[in-house]
Amino acid sequence: MRLLDIRNLNIELITNDSRIKAVESANFSMRMAEVSGLIGESGSGKSLIAKALVGMLNNRWHVTADRLHFMGQDLNRMSETKRRKVISDNISMIYQEPRRCLDPTSNIFSQLEESLPDYEFSGWFGAKKELRIKKCIRLLHKVGIKDHEKVFNSYPHMLSEGICQKIMIAMAIAKEPKLLIADEPTTALESTTSLQVIKLLKSLNQLKEMGVIFITHNLVSITSWADSINVMYCGQLIESGLTKNIINAPKHPYTKALFDSEPDFNARDINNKQKLYALKGTIPTLQHLPIGCRLGPRCPNAQRACVKIPEQQKVKGQYFRCHYPLTDNWKKA
Amino acid sequence: MLNYFYRKLSLLFFITFGVTVFVFSLNFLFPTDVLSNMSGIPNIGEEDYAALAEQYYLNNSVIIQYFAFIGRIWQGDWGVSFITGTSIYSQVFRVLPATIELAIYALLYSFIVAIPLGILASSETYPWLDKSILALSIIGFSMPIFWLALLLILVFSIGLGWFPTSGRLSLIYNIPSSSGFLLFDIIRSNVDYKVEAFFDALRHLALPTFVLAAYPTTVLIRTTRQSMKDVMNTSYVKAAKAKGLTSGQLLRRHGLRNGLLPVIQMLGMHFGTVITLAMVTEVIFAWPGVGSWLVDAIHQRDYPAIQGGLLVISGMVFIATILFDLLYMIFDPIARIRGHGKI
Repeated sequence: MRLLDIRNLNIELITNDSRIKAVESANFSMRMAEVSGLIGESGSGKSLIAKALVGMLNNRWHVTADRLHFMGQDLNRMSETKRRKVISDNISMIYQEPRRCLDPTSNIFSQLEESLPDYEFSGWFGAKKELRIKKCIRLLHKVGIKDHEKVFNSYPHMLSEGICQKIMIAMAIAKEPKLLIADEPTTALESTTSLQVIKLLKSLNQLKEMGVIFITHNLVSITSWADSINVMYCGQLIESGLTKNIINAPKHPYTKALFDSEPDFNARDINNKQKLYALKGTIPTLQHLPIGCRLGPRCPNAQRACVKIPEQQKVKGQYFRCHYPLTDNWKKA
Repeated sequence: MLNYFYRKLSLLFFITFGVTVFVFSLNFLFPTDVLSNMSGIPNIGEEDYAALAEQYYLNNSVIIQYFAFIGRIWQGDWGVSFITGTSIYSQVFRVLPATIELAIYALLYSFIVAIPLGILASSETYPWLDKSILALSIIGFSMPIFWLALLLILVFSIGLGWFPTSGRLSLIYNIPSSSGFLLFDIIRSNVDYKVEAFFDALRHLALPTFVLAAYPTTVLIRTTRQSMKDVMNTSYVKAAKAKGLTSGQLLRRHGLRNGLLPVIQMLGMHFGTVITLAMVTEVIFAWPGVGSWLVDAIHQRDYPAIQGGLLVISGMVFIATILFDLLYMIFDPIARIRGHGKI
């Protein structure tokens, strides 16, 4: 059974005079307990997919999908309330801006406590409350906050960004979800805690069978851990496959460029003041998207056929959308 | 918390200083004689003048006169009225409760009506509801209340005869005054016609309360609508929604608390306007409050009374503003850390 299976996901921004396709026909699937990396430049629509999944987009956004299956259930055919129930019970998300996702007027304890599921604790009222408090303390200890008493009584503005991020993580893992969407969870953290957090997510992934969508643009942190990688460019999911295949034999020119732009400081072939590799041009704005393959204007291999959006192809379990895929077995130097 | 309270109190002290200086200077600015303004005795004879001047420190410097003035205010010696010759202090505090009563009921009413309407209007599910509520609030906002009051009297008092046209209580009921707040007085009194008097007082209250509440209600509807719209669009509400909270829980735990903060602030800011409007309402409905009393004093050029009324009304507005600020602070943890000297 697949944990998540999405076909042809479109996310459109409705403005006064036009509809902008912020995410165009993305296909995305995950096995149970898989760690899937979602990488791409900022503004490529990674967070948008995540927010669409948990239903955080307001009604200025129009989300459609041909197929939207979660653990064998067709979310498209459910009523709004049922879908929200399924999603909130099984999917949780670590948000990019932790401070803005915490209510400024209520203290941390009440916010952490309300993300615990209702059904888990039995007993009479007082005992239940006590159990919930204990669980909250355990959660905070798990994410590396030792001074739980003080944090419980604090308001978000009194805490640092890093601690807020940890609290978000504690809230996200509170109900032991089947799928955790981590939207750049470690950007606000110092490197030691960021390692701790990744370790924690890893252990949850292995012990509790929790699937993880890891959204990042830090290639190093993802390649060591993720089972599969999905690469996005400008709202199009251009390539996805197993991590080692993507690293060793990317089919799409953009994937290759992405990995090329990460300088390899271990190799000795970087000279003094050598220019680092970068793809020419910048990511286009949403108002001026190129037709067809959106990488077209920047792509080193672009030809006339690229003005049509390429169909998704599959070679050895690797999906990609490119008219002229890289064929030679390119190895990372 | 205590620190904040102290800061607000010190603000109150400085404002009181400013107002008392202004009221004191009115003694010299009003056209009649300084000593008459201070004492409230219109035409002082030659023989009394020296003694009175001695009593009011008129021969000493202005600063000593000011402190003497403060001392008199503190002791409740606010002079006597030019017209009636009775103590202004007792007059003011006899009519003040009526105004406070009217203003509180009007604010309460507008709060109860405006908050649900504002929340309904902010919901994106029913756009037609939003439009109709907004239209209604525009009408209420732009209608002058003296005109509204006259219309209501015309329709409901004269036409339909549901409500009395003026006054606080029908003359057939005699309620001993203890606190000055009529409804409480009726409840505490031991008369046989308690229930009838209570309902009669309510019927007298209905129209003035509605008229006075018209303006704050429309302001509150618009503020609530806007701030609820903003709050429901913030990331934290959406994140809470993604946690699986129901709409009711969302509104109760996160929406209302954040959404009502600007509303409380707005209420505090508009309290002064409400008091001004209360004066108009009082005059129209012959409500025996401080507003109509002050208007009478102005008509009759009763300068000592004008000073007393000014002092009381401004004091009331300050205390209300500070109370609303404290209320705001209780709900908003961020307000507690903000800088000094903010009003």
